[in-house]
Amino acid sequence: MENPALEVHSRYSRFLPYLAVLSTDLRQTFRNWVYRLWIVATILVAIGFLLYRFGLHQEAGMVRPASVHSSELFRGIALGSLALIVVLTVSAVASERGTLADSVLSRGISRYQYFMAKLHSRAIVIVLTFAVMSSFMLVAFHFLLGEDLSLAGVTWAVLTISCLLIAVVSVGVAMGAITNSSVVGIAVLWIAMYGLGILMSLLPQTFPSPEKVIARLPFVLRGEYELNSLGEWVLGSLFVAFVASTIGLIAFARRDV
Amino acid sequence: MTGSDTTLVVETERLTKIYGNSHIALNDVTLTIEPGCVLGLLGPNGAGKTTFLRLVLGLHRPTAGRVSVFGKPMTPNAALLRRRIGYIPTNPQFPRGMTPITYLDYIGRLFGLSRDVRKPRLAALVRAVDLLGHSSADVSQFSPGMVSRLAVAASLINEPDLLIWDEPTHGLDIEARRSMLELIKSLSHVKTLILSSHNLSDVDEVCNHAAVLSQGQLIFSGTLQELKGRIRKNHYEMDLEGDQKGVTKAVSQIKSVADVKQVTLRQRRLELVLNEQCNNSGVLSQIFNTLSDNRITLVGLRTVGQQTEQAYLDLVEKEEQRGFARIFQPAEAA
Repeated sequence: MENPALEVHSRYSRFLPYLAVLSTDLRQTFRNWVYRLWIVATILVAIGFLLYRFGLHQEAGMVRPASVHSSELFRGIALGSLALIVVLTVSAVASERGTLADSVLSRGISRYQYFMAKLHSRAIVIVLTFAVMSSFMLVAFHFLLGEDLSLAGVTWAVLTISCLLIAVVSVGVAMGAITNSSVVGIAVLWIAMYGLGILMSLLPQTFPSPEKVIARLPFVLRGEYELNSLGEWVLGSLFVAFVASTIGLIAFARRDV
Repeated sequence: MTGSDTTLVVETERLTKIYGNSHIALNDVTLTIEPGCVLGLLGPNGAGKTTFLRLVLGLHRPTAGRVSVFGKPMTPNAALLRRRIGYIPTNPQFPRGMTPITYLDYIGRLFGLSRDVRKPRLAALVRAVDLLGHSSADVSQFSPGMVSRLAVAASLINEPDLLIWDEPTHGLDIEARRSMLELIKSLSHVKTLILSSHNLSDVDEVCNHAAVLSQGQLIFSGTLQELKGRIRKNHYEMDLEGDQKGVTKAVSQIKSVADVKQVTLRQRRLELVLNEQCNNSGVLSQIFNTLSDNRITLVGLRTVGQQTEQAYLDLVEKEEQRGFARIFQPAEAA
């Protein structure tokens, strides 16, 4: 029997496997029913809230600044969205475990590339969607309910919440890579996030919590913010995202699929 | 499997896999696969065949022992090594919303193949596996036969040196199975193959080596001929035609031939067992002469126990009967 050529092939592109998983996952996430439910629910809530407040503003003459309405809506949407974002992120890796992962991970892709592609894809989809939807909402609030929003404040608010979302996405994808079942991962993360949120809100005023960030949103949207404080939140969120994704990456690279 | 200076395609050393401290899937498997080998991986359900393949691919991490592929350790991140492997899982699954072309393009990109390389290759493969007429159909709607054909194409898109096919004929109709076996035969001239299969006739037809797993343990590894000859050597069956008295007389004469261990006559079928170390052609020549002298016509002659299936079943049965003795001779592999 002839000895087949055993030389390492040199016609490969290093980042192509990463880009393949990234682009495929982006497409699949946009088609995902959880993602579509999130979009539809958010738009319906925003439109309903806006019309209700606009009605009160026009008919009853109840004038409240747009920054207050926006922060109320943000708060509601953020708390509600978290539940669906957790589902969307935990399932990124966990739902593909088994034969479907076989078809991908048995090819020329490393676990690192696969995990990072999944993480980046979900982060891009969620942050972009949030940024686009919140921009539309803020513009609508600005013109319909009073013009007290500042561009710099809005930018910082969207940036801060986006960074919080990146942290949530990272924790979610890492959880999906660590746990064997997406249902378990989702349940654990729901309990951990909402539980932690409640616990942090009970801490003294000097301790930071997501609740306090949202409570400060009306001021931030009006442009009344401390850059250092917001910067700390942005950096803190990115740090959590980094730690979570590193743990997820290492755990995923060492486990069976 | 045999000593050689060539780089081994796969080498496992004391490979053990225990899932969650509750299930021993593979136990102390030491196996080498040389270039050009077509290895049939045999074993009953739950023997550890798929676990072995997944360990070779780096999809699972060994609990103990090691796996080397092309001389380098296989790990979950050994993407460069996997670029030289083509794999078909038992039940291939494809992402939704893809056509054969987009799926093969995706797999090509997963292997890091540039557009100039993968596009012509995927076009050739779609044509070769006869999916040209379904090239715009959603792969999630494919029949089992079409799924298998697409999986074959996906496993070949990177022009691998090693093919690992887990039950490639599973769920195929007769024609598709025949076509698959012909493909394996063609590929066996240029590739190293590991085929896991329940179908022993498939293994018999296309493989030149076999490894038998039983309850996670390797109980045989060697050539297919060794497997066939291992259990019942010099065991023959003859179908005779002629006068019954002549047959009886011939049988009594054959019993006295040196090196004939056992003679059994069932109607017109004569079963012969010769001594394992004897020169079988010499003994058979004496037997033919005896039959001829008694005017007996030899209608058929075949070796008994030389079929892979029988050898395999005997091997597994023998292993199970050994009981506690397995502790002292854990690897009886050839």
